[in-house]
Amino acid sequence: MAMSDRVLPLAHTPERANSETALTKVILIGLAVLFLVAILFLPLVTVFIEALRKGWGTLFESFGDPDTLAAIRLTLLVAAIAVPFNAAIGLAASWAIAKFEFRGKNLLLTLIDLPFSISPVISGLVYVLLFGAQGWLGPWLQAHDIQIIFAVPGIVLATVLVTFPFVARELIPLMQSQGTSEEEAALLLGASGWHTFFKVTLPNVKWALLYGVLLCNARAMGEFGAVSVVSGHIRGLTNTMPLHIEILYNEYNFVGAFAVASLLAGLALFTLLAKTVLEWRFAGEIAATARRH
Amino acid sequence: MRLITRRSIALGAAALFLSFGATQALADRTLLNVSYDPTREFYKEFNAAFAADWKARTGETITIEQSHGGSGKQARAVIDGLQADVVTLALAGDIDQIANKTGKLPKDWAAKLPHNSAPYTSTIVFLVRKGNPKGIKDWGDLVKEGVQVITPNPKTSGGARWNYLAAWAYAAKQLGGDETKVKEWIADLYRNVPVLDTGARGSTTTFAQRGIGDVLISWENEAFLVQKEFGADNFDIVVPSLSILAEPPVAVVTGNAKAKNNLDVAEAYLKFLYSPEGQKLAARNFFRPVDPSSADPADLARFPKVELVSVDKDFGGWAKAQKDFFADGAIFDQIYRPTN
Amino acid sequence: MSVPVRVRNLEKTFGRYPALKGVSLDVEAGELVALLGPSGSGKTTLLRAIAGLEQPDAGQVLFGDLDANTLSLRERRIGFVFQQYALFRHMKVFDNIAFGLRARPRASRPSEAGIRSRVLDLLHLVQLDGLEARYPAQLSGGQRQRVALARALAIEPRVLLLDEPFGALDARVRKDLRKWLRDLHQRTGHTTLFVTHDQDEAFELAGRIAILDHGRIAQVGTAQDILDRPATPFVGSFIEGIARREAQAREWTKPHVVASR
Repeated sequence: MAMSDRVLPLAHTPERANSETALTKVILIGLAVLFLVAILFLPLVTVFIEALRKGWGTLFESFGDPDTLAAIRLTLLVAAIAVPFNAAIGLAASWAIAKFEFRGKNLLLTLIDLPFSISPVISGLVYVLLFGAQGWLGPWLQAHDIQIIFAVPGIVLATVLVTFPFVARELIPLMQSQGTSEEEAALLLGASGWHTFFKVTLPNVKWALLYGVLLCNARAMGEFGAVSVVSGHIRGLTNTMPLHIEILYNEYNFVGAFAVASLLAGLALFTLLAKTVLEWRFAGEIAATARRH
Repeated sequence: MRLITRRSIALGAAALFLSFGATQALADRTLLNVSYDPTREFYKEFNAAFAADWKARTGETITIEQSHGGSGKQARAVIDGLQADVVTLALAGDIDQIANKTGKLPKDWAAKLPHNSAPYTSTIVFLVRKGNPKGIKDWGDLVKEGVQVITPNPKTSGGARWNYLAAWAYAAKQLGGDETKVKEWIADLYRNVPVLDTGARGSTTTFAQRGIGDVLISWENEAFLVQKEFGADNFDIVVPSLSILAEPPVAVVTGNAKAKNNLDVAEAYLKFLYSPEGQKLAARNFFRPVDPSSADPADLARFPKVELVSVDKDFGGWAKAQKDFFADGAIFDQIYRPTN
Repeated sequence: MSVPVRVRNLEKTFGRYPALKGVSLDVEAGELVALLGPSGSGKTTLLRAIAGLEQPDAGQVLFGDLDANTLSLRERRIGFVFQQYALFRHMKVFDNIAFGLRARPRASRPSEAGIRSRVLDLLHLVQLDGLEARYPAQLSGGQRQRVALARALAIEPRVLLLDEPFGALDARVRKDLRKWLRDLHQRTGHTTLFVTHDQDEAFELAGRIAILDHGRIAQVGTAQDILDRPATPFVGSFIEGIARREAQAREWTKPHVVASR
């Protein structure tokens, strides 16, 4: 978490740290590194190696396929809608939860966590039950010729649902730990509600917000389960990148599948890189807002 | 994050969204064919041929969209509102479900086109590793000690049910119809299955790509496709003494096609499957054409003669077979014990 | 600028727990009054109710002739110093102090140059010249406290309210700040209320002391009044330590007046 690098007074290492504890330390660190390499690094490298198995030419050819381009475009479109939406709603919900007392607050907290705790497949099915032709709103939607599932709106909705908690979950603990006194101070100093929000509340959480947005974006582009249920799998139309990867893989087009996978992985890596660069660039400011007085 | 940048992102998204919708609206008519897994390659070619033929006959440019997945899952999607103009699925039962649940096509849909609305057929064969190291010749070899068999889960996969019924038909014939013995034989067979994938493509990938197992029970067209994709020098096809006739049916989802003003082109599309060109393409893509007269003899030569049982004649139709074998608590549940 | 504050029969309940049970208190213009009591006695709730941060269930707060209930937080013009100061952690000291001026409606907002000179004056007043470019995290506790005070004074408040102003400081700094705050009060003359649980602090700093006990005011008076005539047994035991020390001090160094203005 971005805000966890709070400066804590480090306990002084006792002088009697002997060779035995040093050995334990080496073993533990070694195990952790081994684990990270095996679980995280190797699969990631494999993706890129497989993508390049038949050379750069074939790799770029894969991106020329209209269905692949359509999948990339759809994924970017879905993320471009879902991420700003979830950032705005997540910010509003966190603000309400952290700064105000109201009836049903715990219920709201539970609801925010819900997409994390239920399987994405269920999240997708919920929309089928709601908007499907046999669903509650199905007949009305059909009568008005509105297509939600098996079309772009359904994919956006499913993605929004699955990625909803990311921003709120980053913000709520931070906002709660920061308390409400800065806002109260601003209001007593004569600031309006909006002024207080934009000048005090928002700047205090901007790094957590950014981090939440980055995580939200990574998941929005990578979501498979929920989108798979509502997609309808129409090629060049309702396949997002993850779905398209599966299709290419099932068509024995392994280079194509891994080419798209490497693009997706590349986007995720870029996201992480952006976060790291920002943290490095603004390290001082982050420390200033994270530290409690 | 400034408000301005957020707003411009939102505007950009909206613009993208609109342009996306606009391109859809401006295009010529599009037809959606909702199909099952192993037909991907066939329909890719067939759609191009049909579009060319339609253009030549009417001057209209038609775009055909494809959706593929497990047959049952695809039927479910159409029931839930996927706007299919035509469905080309693995089992008649799946199309029956659409007819029953939505009323978007008549219950006697199968009578609308020749051969029970099945323009091509297929059967079940074995795919083994090059040189057939385990010497697999017929169903009897699959229950031998030390033979690993790859087949998907008949509870979730349409293709797996064909595999299962073909095996059952063979055992029933060999064992003189003694049901207890047949059940034991089938149990022995599934004891040799190290992994039950949920779909036919999953099993094929397990066998061909991941190199697990000695024999894959597979659609005939799928087996040929693996040879084509992975090289004929890696795999051999073994045709058993007895197999089953699979008749994947096709139908116009009249309700959807009418609503989308596509009825004429949807009907023409399915009729084209029966045309000499459609039949030829089916044969080229390893489906057995119902009318072999116009197919390439070289393609036809790949289909060996084999004694075929039929679900309707030998198992009393799909509804009964489903109830007897695959429903919860039916025979498959009784005999199958996961090995690990 | 300073106005008297009158509190009439304030009631406030949190859930089923009553925090204020009919509190009335008169504070004259320019007076420095301590709200003293153990934790849970309602002193902070009273301060926050006067500020408008808590909505009382019943009762009235008057600033001079103005009924506070008719005023928005902005219109109340309260200078409030929070226990943990509540400085805006992402703003430099300068911007913290300037915040109240910049938040004013455009018509009454001073020019940037006006704001600058006012902020520098205030920094000088609280003896923090040259620290305007620091972030709060880069200041000591005592310095933050004085920034919070400067920020509160910037809006030319009607009333100055301080919640445990020295609570977060170590003993030495407290002593110095206490003296300094008393001097500052004498110079600026704001009507001032401050909350404390520390008897020494209240007795040394305040002109009058209001002692709270379970949501009621047990006694209001000067240090001498309270020491001489504790109104209730609670007051007597609460100030016992001070009274004993006072008695000793009298014996040793007569004459001596404690905590008078």
